[in-house]
Amino acid sequence: MSNSPEWLNFRTLFSLSNATRFIQVAESLGVFALLMIVVIGASIIAPGFFTYTNLSNTLITASITAVTGLGMTFAIAMGGFDLSVGSVQVLTAIVAASLLSAVDPPLSILGSLLSGLALGLVNGVLISKLRLPAFVVTFGMMSIVRGVALLVTQGQSVMITRHSEFGLLNNGKILGLPVPFIIMMIVFVVLSVLLKHTPFGRHACAIGGNRAAATVSGINIDRTTIAVFGLVGVTAAISGVMLSSQLMIVDATLGTGFELQAITVSVLGGTSLSGGHGNLVGTVFAALLLATIASALNILKVISFYQYLALGLLLIFALAIDTARRAFIAKSLLSRA
Amino acid sequence: MDLSETANRKVNGHAYGMSALGFLTRYYIQFLLVISVVILALVNPYFRTVGNLENILLQASFAGIGAAGMTLLIVSGAFDLSVAGLLGLCGVLISELLPSLGVVLTVVAALFFGVLLGLLNGLVVTKLRIPAFIATLGMMNIYLALAFIWTQGSRVISVSDPSFNVLGTGTWFEVLPIPFLIMIATYLVCYGILNRSVYGRCLRAVGSSEIAARTAGLPVDLIRILAFAIVGGCSALAGVFLTAELSSASAIMATGYELTVIAVVVIGGTSLKGGEGTLFGSFTGALFFAVISSALNILNVAAYWQYVVTGIFLISALGVQALRSYIVVE
Repeated sequence: MSNSPEWLNFRTLFSLSNATRFIQVAESLGVFALLMIVVIGASIIAPGFFTYTNLSNTLITASITAVTGLGMTFAIAMGGFDLSVGSVQVLTAIVAASLLSAVDPPLSILGSLLSGLALGLVNGVLISKLRLPAFVVTFGMMSIVRGVALLVTQGQSVMITRHSEFGLLNNGKILGLPVPFIIMMIVFVVLSVLLKHTPFGRHACAIGGNRAAATVSGINIDRTTIAVFGLVGVTAAISGVMLSSQLMIVDATLGTGFELQAITVSVLGGTSLSGGHGNLVGTVFAALLLATIASALNILKVISFYQYLALGLLLIFALAIDTARRAFIAKSLLSRA
Repeated sequence: MDLSETANRKVNGHAYGMSALGFLTRYYIQFLLVISVVILALVNPYFRTVGNLENILLQASFAGIGAAGMTLLIVSGAFDLSVAGLLGLCGVLISELLPSLGVVLTVVAALFFGVLLGLLNGLVVTKLRIPAFIATLGMMNIYLALAFIWTQGSRVISVSDPSFNVLGTGTWFEVLPIPFLIMIATYLVCYGILNRSVYGRCLRAVGSSEIAARTAGLPVDLIRILAFAIVGGCSALAGVFLTAELSSASAIMATGYELTVIAVVVIGGTSLKGGEGTLFGSFTGALFFAVISSALNILNVAAYWQYVVTGIFLISALGVQALRSYIVVE
């Protein structure tokens, strides 16, 4: 910022960043309020919702979605997208489960995370080096990775029989909190620091905000893009490990529509599709909201297809809000400039 | 970059387009189709049979009919990822209506329903100003959910009306399947729309520069909404033939259809940036995918390779496009 040209109107910039920050806080609060309403409503109409077992199960479901949603938030902040996370999640879950029959849990988790990283890097390289649109590349990768998962398993299920302590990743408790929630909080803290307090995060937001300006100011766009997609791959792999420890039996048909959930929690949490900033707190709240709705519908014995419907409608709703917000920012900018 | 510079680039592009590499990258899919057919016909005796040819044409027409509409939509600079859900919903509708309405009315109702859902997609994308691919991803979930709820799960409903099923299984001169003939008709109509009508010129204008089209006073939203409606209609048409061929319908009858359709369009050479498209390319692309899938079947490759191959072809076709625009710009 120190060597910006003089014609830049700092008051405008300041009011813009103020407006976005205000909206970001308001949106986190908005999602949080919505979450509270749904939780209270569910506790009243769905007996058995507000029990320790159900709450911790809901927390586990939310954490698995949130981890990938946090990675996705990074990608969306950069103006990118990853439709392959569902396939990556299932392939890495299969890798983790298969490796467990040969090696110890730490090594199998490492192998799973590395394969997620590799797949993410492939996405990033294709997008940045070949200059291909992110959503088509990841759309193609979604199909390829799903195919590989089916080929590896031959369409069969992989059961985790050895190392039953692997299940502790799912049902273990630390200070009464489920381990998946702790994992999610760690990912949240790491990504928050990365996004707000490192050059890497600032570069990612700069690329999402204005790609041309980012190029001119000397940001290495290719390297940042590859790193961000690598990061998304790793978060999808963490979700994959969590999923395999939750189910203890995995097959290649899991995780369909997971990309939709990850995108929905990001956008619902207040990360704009236009790029430039990421709202990680909102993503976590939105993941909790999604899991709470699913759990309440389950308890009320609403057949699961209505959950697809709810997810689709929620996504369209969140996107419509996003449009309204962008219009609001543009308007407030115009009136103050 | 100002307008004259763009125009110059276009002119230069034409001059260079005549060079060998430019020609190859422009018509590579036609070359690929001919080469793969020749090789497969030489290597495998079963591939040469009339039955296999008929099957390839039949398979090509399902993806091909959807791809015709999708080409127009991509030319206008948008996408529709909801076609699989839309097709499933239309299939279920057909299975419900057929016993009471008869063949003709059912087909008309299915097409009308498809156009209606397409209009809905268009409204969501243009009026709520949501990027097309993510809005239609959400709509896909909604359509699938509705189809699931309607059929109480992934229940398969049998559709056994001989006069309807002949739409999918009938042939002309024992070689050309009826869906293939309809596919040719669809492409002719779409060609007329894209290259010989005012609306086609509007589509291309909106696709190459939305801002310019708006400034010129074109009703951009209306143009896009109509393109979505065309995609809806084409998908419903494909749904009619698929239901007739399978003689059953279910919510998940077309899983992965959106991927195949978009891959067909992209591999045919239509640019994802919008503004230009080739229906001849999409037509060839549909045949090419059907040939490859039949080859995989004949060579006894595990069905799961289908996913891998489709994805790889989609990404490599994008690579070829990038190469072509590089050549054109150079």
